[in-house]
Amino acid sequence: MAALSLPISAFPPAAQVAPRIGARAVCEALVREGVTTIFGYPGGTVLPIYDVLREFPLRHILVRHEQGGAHAADGFSRATGGVGVAIATSGPGAINLVTGLATAMMDSVPMVAITGNVPRALLGKDAFQETDIVGIALPVTKYATVVMDPDEVPYAVAEAFEIARSGRPGPVLLDFPKDVLQLETSVPHPEPYQLRLPGLLRPTRGDVPEADDLAEMIAAAERPLILSGHGVQIAGATDALREVARRSEIPVAHTLLGIGNMDETDRLSAGYAGMHGWMHVNKMIQQCDLLIGIGCRYDDRITGKTSTFAPNARIVHVDVDRSEIGKNVRTDLGIVADAGDLLTALLRRLPQSEPRTEWMDQLAAWRKVSEARSWHGSGAWREGRLTADYVVDQIGEATDHQATLVSDVGQNQMWAARYFGFRHPYRHLSSGGLGTMGYAVPAAMGAALGAPERETWAIVGDGGFQMTMQELATLVQDQIPVRIAVLNNHRLGMIRQWQEIIYDENYHSAELLGPDLVRLCEAYGIPAWRATKPDEVAGVIANARKAPGPALIDFHLDEAQNVYPMMLPGKGLSDMVEKAPE
Amino acid sequence: MAAPQTLPAGETDAVHRRHVVSALVVDRPGTLNRVSGLLRARSFNIESLTVGTTHEPGKSRMTIAIRGDDGHLRQVLAQLERLIEVLEVTDLTSTPRIELELVLVELDPPRSPTAQHALRGVLAAAGGETLSEAADLWRARLTATPEIIDRALEALRAHGLRSLVRAGAVAMAADPETIPTNENGVTRA
Repeated sequence: MAALSLPISAFPPAAQVAPRIGARAVCEALVREGVTTIFGYPGGTVLPIYDVLREFPLRHILVRHEQGGAHAADGFSRATGGVGVAIATSGPGAINLVTGLATAMMDSVPMVAITGNVPRALLGKDAFQETDIVGIALPVTKYATVVMDPDEVPYAVAEAFEIARSGRPGPVLLDFPKDVLQLETSVPHPEPYQLRLPGLLRPTRGDVPEADDLAEMIAAAERPLILSGHGVQIAGATDALREVARRSEIPVAHTLLGIGNMDETDRLSAGYAGMHGWMHVNKMIQQCDLLIGIGCRYDDRITGKTSTFAPNARIVHVDVDRSEIGKNVRTDLGIVADAGDLLTALLRRLPQSEPRTEWMDQLAAWRKVSEARSWHGSGAWREGRLTADYVVDQIGEATDHQATLVSDVGQNQMWAARYFGFRHPYRHLSSGGLGTMGYAVPAAMGAALGAPERETWAIVGDGGFQMTMQELATLVQDQIPVRIAVLNNHRLGMIRQWQEIIYDENYHSAELLGPDLVRLCEAYGIPAWRATKPDEVAGVIANARKAPGPALIDFHLDEAQNVYPMMLPGKGLSDMVEKAPE
Repeated sequence: MAAPQTLPAGETDAVHRRHVVSALVVDRPGTLNRVSGLLRARSFNIESLTVGTTHEPGKSRMTIAIRGDDGHLRQVLAQLERLIEVLEVTDLTSTPRIELELVLVELDPPRSPTAQHALRGVLAAAGGETLSEAADLWRARLTATPEIIDRALEALRAHGLRSLVRAGAVAMAADPETIPTNENGVTRA
């Protein structure tokens, strides 16, 4: 994890410091929190911050829409393990953040959003660009508050960061009436022990005694399976997870946001589970006798019908958030703990297990079948059809599976999850919980700035791309090297797929007109290529990788390619639609 | 409302009943909004919700009376607990407790000594008394458990009940040995 999560004591504590305006106190506080990059859009009520921004070592990325700023801050957080920051003005600016806040909330992403509001004397008077953003943000943030006094500013910002990153992380919104930013305060910045957060749930750290029970259950199990989620990466515990897998010889499946918990080439990596996960993984869930969920929510895209989920298993649920335990599935053992603490506690208790040959052979046999029946296994691309699995696979190969890959929502997201071949944590970013179309391009922008040492790719459908493509200009202005792969089927692909399978091919609003993306990029000054055949793929990927700044590839895909297998609404993991590609 | 999800083995979750929840919260603007918003998002209908200050500055106590399935509510209370403004949540439903509600009523003045005697009897049974006895209007208060209040209000309808204001329940966990013997304020779980 990056060092961003620890405050820097640049300002020694004192009873009083030289007076400075609220806007400066905000910027000082950001610097103290280790913030280097902020994503924002100016407006009347936040101009006091922009007026002093130059005095601070803060790089400001001028986004083209506040939603882009929120997703970029989210992407920055996920790629670095730090806390991303977005700034917006009052009224429409603040409201435009909401989709990004909700996205971060659902996926437990730490983020601090700073909004301006009208001066205190005008609050509640329907002043120009006034809105009750705190009221709007309440259900989609971990915390939101309006800072009504300049003297509150230093504590408010420090507490916002602490709330955002502690326990189960999430987004925090701080709303500053303009005059609070303009008036002076002499209050110093607080040290961590001075924060006033009695209601903040912090996990008990250290040994986890319940690991005794879990170790016993593991010892008694014949067909155990770990289902690992985002919580493992939030806890920085992928090494511990891999070690537990080796020690206990238990295969590890992952959720969408658990991608990267395991190296997918690891013999103990079972793979991606759930609605469009691999059949062999879902079969394991249904056949295992012990299912250990670590840092996952057992959400509906994993379980399907809960009454038929993992029918043969004792179910264990480890989560740092007590309210998740027993929320969705029957739980035989619930453990409220940080995933890393639990895994470390397990390592202290687990003896080295013998290989579970029979169970792993079963996995291998199922895997062989499900891979052969997949699009990629079918080798449709060999017949000259440009299929999405081939494009994703080739991007994985070309980047040696080291790139940060940010996917959007829909078919492209599932293809990215299934075919890229991830090796490392923090390199797969996607809006898993909220399913926010338009996430990929702006989030990739944040990820590329947060982790510039890695190549960053956005994989996005032509629908999601058109939702936030205004950020192309941001990519150009700041020369942010995001490579955008548009999986262009001229369709809302997942809509088309549902209408084909569930709504008797009654297609409505699934066809999508889009601009000529290559000419669009030409207008922006972004190098772009188009590929329509499999044998063009490697070449255009190589071209895009050479670009010093942003680049785009418009992949014109087979229009009828569906994502299989598929779990239909209301169904369970045992009755999935698995259809061999035609 | 959707059926509750299954819960940790061995625990019943399908019991639908009235719950009394006590929450210690930070006394700040927005706290009530957060708490009620969470309950709304989960489609709970709040029977009553009272908020007041406590002996500690900066902290308020909420008493929430709410109907729901045990398991479903338990999960929601865990979600309540994780709100930054919420310091502590206790479900008092299965706990011996003192639970009282205050009601103010306006009544037609009784027309005969017999009626007056009967009215005073109803009030007394619900821990109440008259506050003013003008020729054209009586005002009274009741202080008792919500069940006793319900019964008393039903009885008061026969005595010319004109209007009423209910405060909602306030509750406090109590050691069964020390629960007051005055049955108006006692709820033994």
